[in-house]
Order: sequence, then structure tokens, then C-alpha cells
Amino acid sequence: MQWKDVSQKEVLRYLGYGRQEADEAVKNLVSECIGEILNQCHCKHVYKRFHCTIEQHSIMFENVVIESKNLSKNLSECEQMILFAATLGPQPDILLKKYSRLDMSKAVVMQAAAAAIIEEYCDQCQKQIEKELEQEQLYLRPRFSPGYGDFQLKHQKDMILLLDCPRKIGLTLTDSLLLAPSKSVTAVMGISKKNKHCHIKGCEACENRNCTFRRDG
Amino acid sequence: MSILELLGKRMIFFDGGTGTLLQEKGLKAGELPEIWNIENKQALIEIHKNYFEAGSDIVLTNTFGANRIKLHDIPYTIEEIITAAVKNAKTASEEAHCEQKGYVALDIGPTGKLLQPLGDLSFEDAYSAFQEMAVAGEKAGADCIVIETMSDIYEAKAAVLAAKENTKLPVFVTIVFDEKGKLLTGSDIASAVTILEGLGVDALGMNCGLGPHQMLALAEEVLQNCSIPVIIKPNAGLPRNENGKTVFDVLPKEFALAMEKIVDKGAWMVGGCCGTTPGHIKALYEQCKNKKPLPIVPKNKTMIASYTHAVEIGKAPIIIGERINPTGKTRFKQALREKDLDYILREGFAQQQKGAHVLDVNVGLPDIDETEMLVHVMKELQSVIDLPLQIDTSNTEAMEKALRLYNGKAMINSVNGKQESMQAIFPLVKKYGGVVVGLTLDEEGIPPTAEGRFLVAEKIVNTAESYGILRKDIVIDVLAMTISSDQQSALETLKALQLVKQKLHVKTILGVSNISFGLPQRETITANFYTMAMQNGLDAGIINPNADSMMRSYYAYRALAGLDENCMDYIQHYGGQSETTVSATSNSDISLGTAIEKGLKERAKQAAEEKLQNTEPLTIINEELIPALDHVGKGFEKGSIFLPQLLMSAEAAKAAFEAIKVHMGKQGSVQTKKDKIILATVKGDIHDIGKNIVKVLLENYSYDVVDLGKDVPPESIVETALSQNINLVGLSALMTTTVTSMEETIRQLKKQKPDCKIVVGGAVLTQEYADMIGADHYAKDAMATVYYAQQILG
Repeated sequence: MQWKDVSQKEVLRYLGYGRQEADEAVKNLVSECIGEILNQCHCKHVYKRFHCTIEQHSIMFENVVIESKNLSKNLSECEQMILFAATLGPQPDILLKKYSRLDMSKAVVMQAAAAAIIEEYCDQCQKQIEKELEQEQLYLRPRFSPGYGDFQLKHQKDMILLLDCPRKIGLTLTDSLLLAPSKSVTAVMGISKKNKHCHIKGCEACENRNCTFRRDG
Repeated sequence: MSILELLGKRMIFFDGGTGTLLQEKGLKAGELPEIWNIENKQALIEIHKNYFEAGSDIVLTNTFGANRIKLHDIPYTIEEIITAAVKNAKTASEEAHCEQKGYVALDIGPTGKLLQPLGDLSFEDAYSAFQEMAVAGEKAGADCIVIETMSDIYEAKAAVLAAKENTKLPVFVTIVFDEKGKLLTGSDIASAVTILEGLGVDALGMNCGLGPHQMLALAEEVLQNCSIPVIIKPNAGLPRNENGKTVFDVLPKEFALAMEKIVDKGAWMVGGCCGTTPGHIKALYEQCKNKKPLPIVPKNKTMIASYTHAVEIGKAPIIIGERINPTGKTRFKQALREKDLDYILREGFAQQQKGAHVLDVNVGLPDIDETEMLVHVMKELQSVIDLPLQIDTSNTEAMEKALRLYNGKAMINSVNGKQESMQAIFPLVKKYGGVVVGLTLDEEGIPPTAEGRFLVAEKIVNTAESYGILRKDIVIDVLAMTISSDQQSALETLKALQLVKQKLHVKTILGVSNISFGLPQRETITANFYTMAMQNGLDAGIINPNADSMMRSYYAYRALAGLDENCMDYIQHYGGQSETTVSATSNSDISLGTAIEKGLKERAKQAAEEKLQNTEPLTIINEELIPALDHVGKGFEKGSIFLPQLLMSAEAAKAAFEAIKVHMGKQGSVQTKKDKIILATVKGDIHDIGKNIVKVLLENYSYDVVDLGKDVPPESIVETALSQNINLVGLSALMTTTVTSMEETIRQLKKQKPDCKIVVGGAVLTQEYADMIGADHYAKDAMATVYYAQQILG
């Protein structure tokens, strides 16, 4: 991933800027942080295809049953789906920890930059997968992660185990179901026969409409 | 014949992958392969047997993830699984039609969790999980232990210690490098080799991650750094995704030919990892079975390492920063007593920026628990600074604990010629690895002459060797003593430097600053002596890198001694310096208040120092600092100022406060703080950025923040609130899963300390949520906590 791929505007949105213009010092800091993270992080991802059955609000695949109204809606009419996981590796966490002790303002910008970078990386991976599927005339639904809506966080365990994440990409789960490294994403993406091109990303799909960081539009 | 006796006599072959073979036999995604040791043992016996018959000398038991952290809620104990797995491999060895004896290696893979501080697994918990495996493996009759596929050198260290402390089996370790030659957690090849050799493993190398072609160059680098047998076990090429499935492309013949090149470079033990099959091993065996292992050339390099990189002592002089040491430093002592880790970390970071290669860490004070403090400071330093550390303590218990938990191969400061000292320290050096500093003094005191110190050095080196410690892992300190009391002392020290270098062939170290004790303008004497010492063979100077004259001596010496190609380093540091002094003064007319509002850290510090010359500290705080902070805070509330700017101002204010603190310390007074506030990220939560933001702001308003860190159990929050009688607690939680421990913390606090107020914040919290879990206040952002503290505590 390259520096130009990461949207500065997106980083500023995470910092709460909304439509307001940031001053030069902050903009410079944003560029600096994006550069520093990209320079050090090792982006990795892994995915696998599964056949799935959707009944009412249950999604079934392998030996897993997920009860979720939101996810079943997201996967409606899909017979297959992709489990996906991506991480920036431990380096952004190390940088965050370092700057939390040495320069808090840089730490918060670093945090926002890392969040924007992992989202961008997921988008790029998703495009790659879309390309592969197009050859089979199959189409990808937007990614949906444990913790969104009523898709329970406990399913992180299934995701991590089925994708063999610790070994494949170094992504692990803490006892309280947090992803470590923290700048990581797991998601389910439906595979559809219909080209219902969906450009809604994580933010708009979320039901928390009062969130301070919600993207406008 | 034991496997160790066989090493070097002929090539040793490991087995290949088992994952894909098990899948072919019906193992499903997400199913635990370790269970098959008991429930489908015939499948495993067959796989092992095929490998023995293909030419493997050693097969790995099917116990990669058979640790209690990964395997729970299963109907078997870890011991049962491991016993069955070893038995399966042994049965295969007996049943296989082979001429040679087949060896069984207990396979230990990673826990599948990240160790602290990156994850939530403690070093001790990882250790005991590995210990359980190793003990069971030895009991079941394994011939050796192979710790493999490690992508964090710290986890590998836990596994090695567990294996070596609890069994007598040979220990082999292979780790996973990426194409750039880095481990997932950042270690490069030199550091990983340095650390593992230090721990005394019997062989080391790499597996997984890459194919044989990509591994060639990396294997060469491992071999160049390594003085023990090397193991190479690649995948059958790089993994490729085909219809959502992982496939590997390198076929047996190609695999064997690529591996032959690696064997020709000097690897003694070879095999395969993911995607390799008995076919690959057979081809490899046929290709390489008649090769004679290349003799290992010992690399006589004095190496230390942090978890990211290694530093060699002896190639060119290196700098060991001396500033993390309370001796003679009021401000540092205060920081230690107040557990002000940020201050200590900044001292460390400043030295790194000035060019230190290693940091000395000494936190000994009579009235603190040195073991606890040393380990705490060391862990915190390692989580933000990637330099190797020199552990500096005369407390053996503190030394052992620190060496055990250090992530790397440390410098050990120090041992001396006293029997008692050598008996205490050398076993630690042998066990944990390290480069030990030998002080040339003994029961008789410090010998006055160079010859006398040489004799003590000789005794230290000989005794170390009797413990199995190599000469390359010793650096001798011939002691610099002030010339103000003995005119000859510098000359004797320089002579002793030459003697130990020439006659003992060991590297040297000196605490350089002592030389000028008691003299005016100490830096002049110290810097000149530093140059003389380097000229006489000093390899590592313990100096103050913040002292400009010392760094000038250092860079000048390197340029003069032909160690700085084209004088590049010298030019980089001192070329165009006049320009920087100009820019530093360019904003000298900016007032303290403005500097804070604009977030100009340097200027804020400078402006505070200027003001302190004619204004009382309290007046500066009340009339300039606080109003500026209030102004910024109001702007943040209104939405005209955003978080990064708020924090830039906070950092600038902090720099000004630090200047005030130093000033007051010199006058012997201490800035009075307001009431104490506990801050903690609740149990289970390892995200602490929000809490840290609040901390910076509260400290700006002079509150005494007791920062308990992250992942804090309710009990320790309650205990701290009770024991220190603290009436305000701030709790942070990021996820819905951890809000439950926030609720539990509140419940316990309300029960045991009903007068304590609790303010909560964090991404998932809302006013309703906060009410529901019984918090007294919900802080929507960082400033909100400050306002609440002012309301409750004043």
C-alpha cells in the first residue's frame, strides 16, 4: 500500500474534524503519521470461501451457527460467503504505545491514521477478491464484522479459528475478544450471483446513527 | 546414539508438513488436529511412518498447538494428548522399514496469543503452558524438543526456558522470517540468532513463511551470524490462493535442488514445512544424503540484542547512555519515588535521539523495592524504545528477574573479581545469555596499578570460562577513577585497557565520567579522556549522550580513526549546525501562554525557564499556564479546537511544567499537587489511548494521577482506592465485552468505598449505558473528566 492511497480527509474525520478545516500543523502531523506507519507495518490478510445456508436469522456454515438479523439480511440470497481477516501487524501498536508516552498529540493522530490505513487495506483486498469472483460471475457483498449490529463479538473466535489467523497472519484474540494486534479487521462478505453493486462500507452500514465519527452523506 | 552426537557427522533430515496430509485424511477446517492423536491415531502413525521411510531422521509429534492456552474444553488433558502423540511417532519409528534409528521430537508451536505488551498473555503464563508440554514430552519418551514456527522471539524465549529448565532434552528452535528477514514482532536475523544462542539452544534456524528459493539468502545470513548447527525447513513455495484454498507450487525435485544450495552453504539439518510431503522429503534425502556437513566456524563477535536488532561491541566504539541512574540526580530520584515512568522513558528516548546504542538501567534507591522497580522500568522501556539495555544492579535477585523477563540478550552490569560475586552472577549469564561487565576489583579492593587490574581481569575471564561462558561474552571494565585525587589514575586506566585487550583478547568498557569527579568544567576533562580511552582500545563508553562535548569526541574520534566512511556521520551531525541555532531563537518573542495555545513544546519550555528567573513558579502556573489551558479547553468544548491541537497544547504545558519542576527541585522545594485520581482501563481491555489522553490533561491541571495501566482487575483498583484513600476513579472501556468488567469494578468500589466517585468513558459508552452500570458520571470526552474532577475535588 502506498501513501497516496490513504485519504487524509478520512484520518481527519476520525479525529473529529467533520467538515472543519484542520490547520497546517495538524495536516503535517497526519502526513507524517501515515508515512511512519506505512514505513513500518506489514499488512497481511487471509480469506476462505464457505458454503452457507441462511434460514430466518440464522447463518450456518461448517460447524458454525450465527444468529444475527443484520448479518442474515446482509447475506440474503447468498449461497456462499467469504471469511476475511486483515491486520497491519504489531508495529502500529508499538508506535502508538511509544507516542502515548512521548507525545500524546502524535499518538491520537497515529491512532486515526492507522484506522484509516487498515480500512483502506481492507478495501484493496476486497477489490482483489471481487476481481477473482467476477471471472465466475459472482459478486461480493459489503464486509460485515463481528460487533456490527447484532452480529455478536463472540464469533471472533470462529473467525480466528477457521482462518487459522495466528499462524497465517499473526492475528490473535485476547480473552475478552479483542483483536491483537489492534489494527486488524475480521469480516464476513456474502457472495452473490446478482450484481447488486453495493458500495456501502462499514461506517454507513452501522446502526449507531449518533456516533461522533459517522461519515457524512 | 543421541541425536546431538549425530550432528555434524552427516546430514540430518526432518519431516515435512502434516496439515495438508491430515486434511486429505478428512480433517476439517477449524477442527483441532491434536485430538487426532487419540481419536484417529492410525492416520498419524501412517504419516509419521511415510516420513521415516522417505528418509527423515526426526519426525515432529502432532502437538503443534497442544498447549493449554489453545486447547481447552476438550475431553483430554494436555498430558494425554502429548503422551499419545509421542507414542504414535514411536510406533511409526518401530514399524517403518528403515535402517537408521528414527528420532521423535516433541513439537512445540506458538500459543496462538500475543504476549504482553502487544497482547494479553503474560510471559509467565506462556512459560507454564510450554513447561507442561515439555515435561509431558520428556516423560513420554521424546528424544528432543523442537520449538517451531515462532514469530515472536519473546515467546520463543519463554518456550526455551521452559524446555531447558524442566527437561534434559536437546532443544532446537526454528522461527519464521518474512522476505525482509524480519520476525512478525520486528526482530531481525542477527538479533534472533544472538538471543537464541545466548539462551543456549542446541540448534536454531527457520521454518514456514517462505519457500526454499526465498529462504536461500536468509539462510546465508543466519549462517553468517550463527556458531551452532542451523536448521532450514521451508514451505513448498509461497502460498497461493486458488478458489479460496491455499496451494503450494514447488514440486519435490525442484524443492530438493533448491535445498541442496542451502545445504552447500552450511545448513546441517533440513526438512520441510507447509505443503511439503513425504515425496519432497524423499527427493531432498536422495539429493543431499551423501553431503558432508560443512564445519561450523565460531563467530567471535561480542553481541547484545534488543528484540528488534543486535549491537556488536568491538567493531567500532559504541555509546552506552548513563542517564537512567538516580545517583546524584534529585529529579530522577523524585521520579522513581513517584513512579513517574514517563520521566524515565523520556530520559531514555532523549539518549536514543542523541545517538546512544545501549541504555544502562539503574533504579537502585535504598527506600524502594528494586526488583519490582527494575522489572517495571525495563518492561516499560522495552515497550517504547528498541535499544538493547544494560541491566545495572548489585542486587542479584533483581538481576535474575530482569534477565529472565528481558526481551533480548542484555548487558549485565556487573560482576567483579570477588568469589561471591562470580558465584552469584556467572550462573545467570550462562542461563539467560548476556554480555557480562567484569569490574577489575576483588576482595582486596581496586588494585592501584594497571598490572594489578589486569590480574583481576584474568581471574574473572578464567572463572567465567569454567562456567562455560565464552570470552566473547565478557567485557572488562578496568575502572576510571578521578584524577583529582590521584594524578596517575588516568594513565593507569589507559594502560590497563591496552593490557586486557592485548593479553586477554576481551572487549572493554568504562564508566568514563568518573575521571573528572571533583574538578571544575568536568566535561572538558571527561571528553578528552574519552578520546584517549578510545585510542587505547575502549569498545564501549558509558557516557552522557546529552553532553555535546562527549558526542563531539565520539564523532571526531570515529572520523579520525578511519571508522566513519567519508566522515559522513561527522558531517551529518555537525555540517550546517549554525543554521539550527538561528531557527531555535526565531520565535523567542512568543509568550508562554501563546506557546501553549499554539502547542509549541520547545518554546513553552524555554519561555517558562525565562520567566522563572524573575517570577514565582506558582504565579507562572496560575497566571499563564492555567489560563492558556482553560482557553484551549473552552475552544475544544465549543468545537473550534480539535483533539490533536488540544493535546499539542497539553504537551507544551507539560514541557513548561517540567521546567518548573526542575527549577523547584534545585531550590529544594516540590510542587504541591492536588488530590489523587485513579485512572485505569478495565480488565480485559488492552486499548489505553483514551485513558492516556485523560491522564495528560488531568496532570496539566496538577492532579496527582495514579495510573494503574490497562487490563486492570477490579480488585487492584479497589485496593488502591482504599490504601491511598482516593475519592475519584476514572475508568475506561472500549468494547461492549469489557463494559461488563467496568460494571463489576463499579460494583466492588461502591461496596467497599462508598464515598468514592466514579467517572467513566470510552468508545461504546453513552450516558444511558453509564447510568445503567451505576457510574456517577459519564465523560463524553477528555476535557469532560477534567471538569468533573474540578467539580468533585476542586
